[in-house]
Amino acid sequence: MNLPGRMLKRALLFSSLICFVAAFSHGAESDSQTVRVRIGTILASNQSDEIDPRLNAMKNQLKVMKYRSYRLLKEETKNVSWQGNAAFDIPGGRSLVVTPQEFRNKQLALKVRLQHGDKPVVDTIVRLNNGGNFLLGGPQHEGGVLVLSISAAAQ
Amino acid sequence: MRNCEDIRESLGVWLDGELSLADAEVIRLHLENCAACDEQRRQWVKLDVSLKSLTESNVRQVDFEPFWRGVQERIAKQRAWHTELLEWFHSAFAGPGLAWAVPAVILIIIGVLSFDSFWKLRGQRNNFSAVESIDAHGRNVALLREDETKTTVIWLYQNQEGEDESSGENVETSPAF
Repeated sequence: MNLPGRMLKRALLFSSLICFVAAFSHGAESDSQTVRVRIGTILASNQSDEIDPRLNAMKNQLKVMKYRSYRLLKEETKNVSWQGNAAFDIPGGRSLVVTPQEFRNKQLALKVRLQHGDKPVVDTIVRLNNGGNFLLGGPQHEGGVLVLSISAAAQ
Repeated sequence: MRNCEDIRESLGVWLDGELSLADAEVIRLHLENCAACDEQRRQWVKLDVSLKSLTESNVRQVDFEPFWRGVQERIAKQRAWHTELLEWFHSAFAGPGLAWAVPAVILIIIGVLSFDSFWKLRGQRNNFSAVESIDAHGRNVALLREDETKTTVIWLYQNQEGEDESSGENVETSPAF
């Protein structure tokens, strides 16, 4: 084979490789079937100075709030399909409904609704890093305040 | 001692003076003692002289003037713009250059398409979790993004007057931070 022919063959091979890598890297993100959603319900108060040892991993995150005591009331994990709903019971007759919406650029978009009975308390859409979390707080409960740690990871 | 066949094969080179002194001497001695080979040498010399005289006489007859005039005319002649453009395209898009232009164009397209999402991704990672929308149904909302611990907090609270009691949900009267 002559020189230009060889070059052309190499260039076409290189192009195919680029296209393959680009398609694979894009496809890898959308391959995730379910999302693992974890809700930690924490009671924050000023009644003591104790921090639940189970919350040690997120001790630094909790310090951004003004409370002195943090106790983990409940922790629940569910696998949810994309666009599916996962309902979590929250103490005090509340419920939290989480709907994973999309996975793009290694970030998940979650639609989150907190209800008290049938009445909506808050509706929000949050985009968080895969495996990351955010805190939702404010509802009063047993002399303190509930703080929900909401995390999600694409499976 | 070389035989006659070898000597005759070397005659042309010998006549051109391209042999070493030792080889030339061997041939010269052989020619002194071999009439047949010497006759061959004479024919080589005769042929050489004839060719030289023929070439020289023909060169004198060749008229180079029209040839040089044609060359000068072609150099001086202004070429049409479309001819030059065609030649430029041919040189630019032919051969190995075109072969590598294909992956280069693909890379540029991928780069342009990825540019937007790359910067969006950087921005979002720097800002940790991003709250795209929020509806607290009449309550106040405070949003905290804390850089050091990479924490995003959505905090619900309501005014001291405690409006919106119809919702049945009691929330704090001030942000927790």
